[in-house]
Amino acid sequence: MTGKRPAERSATPAPNETAFTLLVTSVLDYGIFMLDPGGYVSTWNAGAERIKGYRAEDIIGRHFSVFYPPEEIAARKPHLELEAAIADGRLEDEGWRIRKDGSRFWANVVITALFDETGELRGFGKVTRDMTERRAAEQELTDRRRLFTHLVQAQELERRRIAWDVHDDSIQAMVAVGMRLQLLADRVGEPYADELSRLDASVREAVGRLRNLTFRLQPPGIDRHGLAESLSQYLTDVVGKWGLETSLVGDLAREPAAETAITAFRIVQEALLNVRKHARARSVRISVTSENRGVLVRVADDGTGNPAASHGLREHFGLMEMRERAETAGGWWTLRSEPGVGTTVEFWLPDLPAGGSDEHLPGTPFGSLGSRSSTQDPR
Amino acid sequence: MSGPAAPDGPLRVLICDDNEMLRAALAEVVGAQPDLALAGSAADAEEAIRLATAEQPHVVVLDVRFPGGGPHTARQITRAVPGVRILVFSAYGDQATRSEMAAVGVADYLVKGTTNARLLAGIRALGAEARSATTSGDRAGGTPDGLRTPRE
Repeated sequence: MTGKRPAERSATPAPNETAFTLLVTSVLDYGIFMLDPGGYVSTWNAGAERIKGYRAEDIIGRHFSVFYPPEEIAARKPHLELEAAIADGRLEDEGWRIRKDGSRFWANVVITALFDETGELRGFGKVTRDMTERRAAEQELTDRRRLFTHLVQAQELERRRIAWDVHDDSIQAMVAVGMRLQLLADRVGEPYADELSRLDASVREAVGRLRNLTFRLQPPGIDRHGLAESLSQYLTDVVGKWGLETSLVGDLAREPAAETAITAFRIVQEALLNVRKHARARSVRISVTSENRGVLVRVADDGTGNPAASHGLREHFGLMEMRERAETAGGWWTLRSEPGVGTTVEFWLPDLPAGGSDEHLPGTPFGSLGSRSSTQDPR
Repeated sequence: MSGPAAPDGPLRVLICDDNEMLRAALAEVVGAQPDLALAGSAADAEEAIRLATAEQPHVVVLDVRFPGGGPHTARQITRAVPGVRILVFSAYGDQATRSEMAAVGVADYLVKGTTNARLLAGIRALGAEARSATTSGDRAGGTPDGLRTPRE
């Protein structure tokens, strides 16, 4: 089992049984030890002591079922694992194990059945790794994704409520007022008709602005049409009317998860709003591509290259909101601005594994807007 | 059911909107026109279909987000009132909503916030169409399933 090669024999001290035993007993990262055919611990190493907390003299001679939690012992798991190792030669398992002090750790365990040349079972080799930290990291990632899903859903729900309220109440009431003002203008004649018409015009202007607001708040219909098509419709229905020339290149290998798609859509919306308000651009180009197991989106205008950050607090928040959204989704966001060339907003969002949560949480604020101002650095 | 309107009588207009303020304003605007007559105003699909069936209006002014469903209401009214013209009066102007309503055969689509003059011009144009459809025998011929009662 030492597998000596000719070259090693002369150069370095030959690895022999003693050197190999030294290696096994000294390794700290793995618990490596043996069980006799009945499942009693017969050897021990430094890694096993570090992971499980027992010193060799405490544990040798005891049955290895002490490493298992009571519910596993009740289910006869230690015995079943030995039987499986005998039947298949080896067995790998992950699960909770118990340290000497009674605390639990998440273990990866490999049990190898050891037979001699006559085929008789001589015992078992057991290799144990402590996976608690990796498991915690994975758990944290899962929790983050779940939280992100909740945030997006809660926010969309809230936006939908506001949109319905504005539409069903405010807009309708103002439209009714406008209609009555026009009716009145027809009836009273001059000199009041002019004044009434002006009033009516400002009411109708306000109605138009509210309608734009509700359209921005509406869920973008991504579940029905997909991200690229929803963006395309938005460009046609809304952005085209701003007098901006738009183009969209969509090249998605596959449709991202709904929350990822909504986040991408919302960031593009905000970016377009900035273009409209500040860029004095004639055209804006959008591209949506699959990259690095996620979605890469670019919104490039040909405006003054004067980003919104230099305009005021509201605009500054707009930029931060985009970045917050991208980072909450586990992605990144950046803005490049060059005077005379234009501004490009670029962001990448990782795609979520399918099977997020479908419950709705009560509204949770989307990140903490106030805490980020010092880190904002639009180049 | 009432018979065909006299050729030169006022155009009958049915108003369908669930918002009370808007319904009242629409009724007043229509009622102020000598060539238009209010055939009724409905706050939900059931009421709209019942009134349309009973009053046989020339023109129906219909909201899209309407209790019971704008598209459903449009379809049922088209079946119950041969020759009728439906004018959508919606707070939504997006393409998806327009297509949805075009698919159920509405004749015109105006976004709320347009002027009274524009709305009235739309109503009159559709009313003229409905009237000529009626006098040319279209209304008597009816749609294939025009005889079915919309609500059993």
